Amino acid sequence: MIVPLEHVILLSLALFSIGVFGVLFRRNAITIFMSIELMLNAVNLALVGFSRYYDSVDGQVFVFLVMTLAAAEVAVGLAIIIALYRNRQTVNIDEINLLKN
Amino acid sequence: MPLSLLFYFAALIAVGSAILVVLNRNAVYSAIFLVLCFFSLAMIYLLLEAYFLAVLEIFIYAGAIMVLFLFVVMLLNLGREKALPHFMKFQRALSLMLVILFFFGVSLIMVVGSGELHQPTIKFSSGSVYALGEALFTKFLLPFEVASLLLLVALIGTVYLAKRKI
Amino acid sequence: MTNLQSLDLFWPELIITVVILTALIVDLCIEKSKSDVVGWVLVIGLLITAIAIWNQDKTTTTLFTDMIVLDPFATFFKLLIILSTLLVAVVSWQNNELDEYRKGEYFTLLGILVLGLFLMASSIDLIMVYISIEVVSIMSFILAGYLKLDTRSNEAGLKYVVYGAFSSGIMLFGLSILFGLTGSTNYFIIQKSLAGLDGSASAALVMALLMILAGFGYKISAVPFHFWTPDVYEGAPTTITAYLSVAPKAAGFAIIIRFFHQVFADGGALADAESLSMTDVPWPEIIGILAVATMTLGNLVAIQQESIKRMLAYSSVAHAGYMMLALPVLSIQTVYAIMVYLVMYLFMNLGAFFVVITVKNKTGGETFDDYRGLGWEMPFIGVVMTLFMLSLTGLPPTAGFIGKFYIFSALISGGSQYYWLAIVGGINSVISLYYYFHVVKVMFLEGERKETLVQPPEVMSGVLLATAIPVFLFGIYWNPVVNWVQNSLIFYVQTM
Repeated sequence: MIVPLEHVILLSLALFSIGVFGVLFRRNAITIFMSIELMLNAVNLALVGFSRYYDSVDGQVFVFLVMTLAAAEVAVGLAIIIALYRNRQTVNIDEINLLKN
Repeated sequence: MPLSLLFYFAALIAVGSAILVVLNRNAVYSAIFLVLCFFSLAMIYLLLEAYFLAVLEIFIYAGAIMVLFLFVVMLLNLGREKALPHFMKFQRALSLMLVILFFFGVSLIMVVGSGELHQPTIKFSSGSVYALGEALFTKFLLPFEVASLLLLVALIGTVYLAKRKI
Repeated sequence: MTNLQSLDLFWPELIITVVILTALIVDLCIEKSKSDVVGWVLVIGLLITAIAIWNQDKTTTTLFTDMIVLDPFATFFKLLIILSTLLVAVVSWQNNELDEYRKGEYFTLLGILVLGLFLMASSIDLIMVYISIEVVSIMSFILAGYLKLDTRSNEAGLKYVVYGAFSSGIMLFGLSILFGLTGSTNYFIIQKSLAGLDGSASAALVMALLMILAGFGYKISAVPFHFWTPDVYEGAPTTITAYLSVAPKAAGFAIIIRFFHQVFADGGALADAESLSMTDVPWPEIIGILAVATMTLGNLVAIQQESIKRMLAYSSVAHAGYMMLALPVLSIQTVYAIMVYLVMYLFMNLGAFFVVITVKNKTGGETFDDYRGLGWEMPFIGVVMTLFMLSLTGLPPTAGFIGKFYIFSALISGGSQYYWLAIVGGINSVISLYYYFHVVKVMFLEGERKETLVQPPEVMSGVLLATAIPVFLFGIYWNPVVNWVQNSLIFYVQTM
């Protein structure tokens, strides 16, 4: 391995934290989805690192499937956003609050 | 080692662009920076000898998912995100603090915890398309097939949700 | 078993896959007004699947090169899932909320949801765990937002997708750390290499477990991962709310039980599962506190609700709490109690939501005001709803009482350190008495008495009876359930 595993994990952790921060910080649903993509990519990076470390292909298969499902999840999320935008003209999750007492 | 320097360079770009994704008010800029982040991650995958995944990262993330994002952002014609009311500032500062705390906490745990993870393996044989393909179609056949079924049905659901006609 | 050999023991899932594809093709060939036909395809397909499961070899083995297992424990959950899906599918024909929409996609999505839940109940590989949870989540996102002209349903879908993707991201990070610590994705290999891990890694392991717990807790809507529950339950079509409150929760418990028993209990066998080895972390206390928080919060917030649908949403959070009470005691008896509770919970909770659907079809509303005097106007609905409320409170002679009885007795036999959990659970049941009886009070003691009686449609009455009779019957004679659970308590265990 060209760099110690810890450095890969630290980078992955940094990206993950930035993603978590984005989910908590942003109010725009689309940017929130981008932050979630960041989180998933951080996980992928960690998996690739571990897979390299153990010389096992399992981690890479995991990454492959995470990518597939992330694509499906984003597509569904964006479709819901479009449906919502058609009715409400907003994607700001603070303004989306009909369901509250 | 020049190659390890390349890793740190890519890591720097990845973190920098990720921060810009999160902090940018304009969703289009965020998307562009996200593409940059994905490209640097693809470079890191190459350095970690996951060649097929590096290509996939660019195909799926930079190619498909980002186009989808940009398409929706432009379809909905979103401008800049509005500035937040004053009382929200506190909440944002709190979330920033929590996340920083989380980062340092977990990195401490990971670095201390992975005490026995030091010696790097020398020979590596699992990065090739061949190895990945073989695993995917033998050991991991079921997840692969389930994912394909999921993609089909998610496609139908997405079309249903997004089209105007009922 | 190899992939080809496994196909022989994989019939139920294969049948469901065929049903899904058939439903898709049938849906293409018919017009919108006739899209109920797809529901028939699903119902008949599920019945065939149930028969296939019933007639399956009673072997316990792994399938598809150690991806999933076939054991009585998984079969139990599969039958539970089929039962709830059948009831929900039948009621979906009657649900007026769906009338404007095409129902073909709705039933197709329900079909693949069943497949995802099956895999959740039987997966023993981290990759399979992730995929099955995602299949269930993504299908639930679409179904929660299915009423696309209704802003509340859109909102439910969006909230569900944001919280769902976020928590599955966190769970995924936990899974990746677990993979990093052990180098494998298979439960049994993980379990073996964790046993050989030295103390320095235990902090990272705890971190990973907490993150995985976030993903699982989200599926069973446990505090503090319950934020999505009330909003999604209120905005989603009521049939889907009923479904989400039962089937994914059951599968969530199946996945939790399997994960904690097979990865962390000693030897994977339940015989000596007294303690969670490897870590000095007080797991029983952590899960116990989460359970107490879950049911207390669910009950306290449920009191303040004005919409019955939302009240039932919080009440289902509270019920997840009751079931979680038994988790800290990792013994075969608590698994037994949770499974008994799940059977009882299925009937009473589905029944309560079906009453909400019937009333909404008639009055168009779901707040307490719409239930004023309903007991006199629709006596059948009034009586059945009273029965469900009694059962949800946990009063004898109803199924809910038996469920709670098994949970509490499992706690008490677990030892004196669990008594406080039983006491808090008892106090919570008393609190819940207040809001469940509020419904009964509004139905019978408020509003003016109308002389004209209204009958619900026959199909609805039939389904309500199909849920009410078990609720009453299992309160008096619960042996069949207990025997069934007893025979299902066999896990696949790998001895290496």
